[in-house]
Amino acid sequence: MSKEELKDYFEILEVSPDASVLEIKNAYLRLKKLYSSDPTVIAPIAEEFPKMRRRQILKEIEEAYSKIRAFLDNEQNQIFADEEPAVSKDLPEEEKTEGISFSGPVLKQIREKLGIQLHEVALETKIRVENLENIESEKFDALPPEPYLKGHLKIYANSLLLDPKKVAADYLERYKEWKGDYSNEWKKDS
Amino acid sequence: MERLKREREGEIWAVGGGKGGTGKTFITSCMGSYLAQKGKSVVLIDVDIGGANLHSFFGISRPAKSLTNFFENGSPLQELAVKTGIDNMQLITGDVYSLASDSIKFTQKLKLFRHIMKLNTQYVLVDLGAGSHNNTLDTFLMADKMIAVLVPEMIAVENMYHFIKNALFRKVRMSLRAYGFKEIVEHVWEKRERYKVRNIRELIDWLRNSFSYIGDILDKELASFKIYLILNKVRSPEDIFIGASMKSALLKYLGIDIDFVGYIEYDDSVWRSIRNQQPFMLYYSSSRCTEEIEDFTENLIQGKEIRLLRA
Repeated sequence: MSKEELKDYFEILEVSPDASVLEIKNAYLRLKKLYSSDPTVIAPIAEEFPKMRRRQILKEIEEAYSKIRAFLDNEQNQIFADEEPAVSKDLPEEEKTEGISFSGPVLKQIREKLGIQLHEVALETKIRVENLENIESEKFDALPPEPYLKGHLKIYANSLLLDPKKVAADYLERYKEWKGDYSNEWKKDS
Repeated sequence: MERLKREREGEIWAVGGGKGGTGKTFITSCMGSYLAQKGKSVVLIDVDIGGANLHSFFGISRPAKSLTNFFENGSPLQELAVKTGIDNMQLITGDVYSLASDSIKFTQKLKLFRHIMKLNTQYVLVDLGAGSHNNTLDTFLMADKMIAVLVPEMIAVENMYHFIKNALFRKVRMSLRAYGFKEIVEHVWEKRERYKVRNIRELIDWLRNSFSYIGDILDKELASFKIYLILNKVRSPEDIFIGASMKSALLKYLGIDIDFVGYIEYDDSVWRSIRNQQPFMLYYSSSRCTEEIEDFTENLIQGKEIRLLRA
């Protein structure tokens, strides 16, 4: 399915086809909440329509989101496929990501491909832009202590629709490697 | 009238929205000030039935001449315009009787619209009163940009739906009038139970399905039915989303695509400027509200919407 074919679904979620993953997710959550519970704006107009209409709207919203989400997940896997040509195309989609390690540059690349700006992630996650930049550029010495870093990584991964556990584990492995080298060097020096 | 519209260089903006006290007059005065400060020529017209008071937002006294002189003595509109104290901007005021329910005839109203369209200015901003009276709706529908002002309260939301539905119904009726369908529209709506029509959306669909050639006319006419929403007296981030929710509900239930152009935060300085009869944009030029007003006026000029990032 191409983006063009998803046009109607983007319309249902009231976002442009260029919207970032974050915008799409926010729109979905907002509309779902609006049509399932809003008494101020929806109730006055919904009253003159049959109840079926409201249920239908909610159904359309769910469908639109799942279709767009499936498309984006697939696009993400495509990014991995470009990145690691060694991974066999015959593998089922889920396993394709297994061989990839989520380094800072990989996270950055995924974010950029998804058209999300750093400040948008910052708004959503409440993680400061500098911290996100440091994570992406693997400026390990500027990162917060490990427990905090782990939390940040998970939240960040979530906002990119990635598996938080896998991202945190991969990244922390690299981080620990660096930390090990660093402390060894330090020991040598002293 | 369509032809006249095309001949004009300037734009007519009408500010309405159903409920009283939402800030229509305040917003009209501020948008006018901003446009004038940008060097545009602006004429404000106050047609508020209940109480024309736009002049007091500039600290000037009630103009001696009003639209009554236009209706009764045939004075040209341009002669009724008075200075507002802000360069490039003039004001024409209505009065209690000028557009009251039955005091002016349909032909008089059309004459007023024709003369408004011929005013030699870049922008005409019309401040409508509260309510959904036909004269108010027709003035609203005449404009190039129909601007609706809402406050984030349930009653205001209900009034807004009422206003928009009435405006749409009026638009459909008047559009089809030229094709001899006005009576059919009214008949179907009156006997809507028999025709299984429950709301304005279903009425439009019924007309479309029953008379295929009406479809094109309706599509064309309704394409120009564009409302721009401004939210006033916003007190929380959640309030702002009432604008987005309104947009969604109107689209999904009525098939009307409105543009949410911006909002103004609740601020005591607004109340203070009105009480002291000080032009807000001049006296509070560094206020956050001033910035917000400038933002949505720019959005209106450029036909853009406000961009909301968060859920």
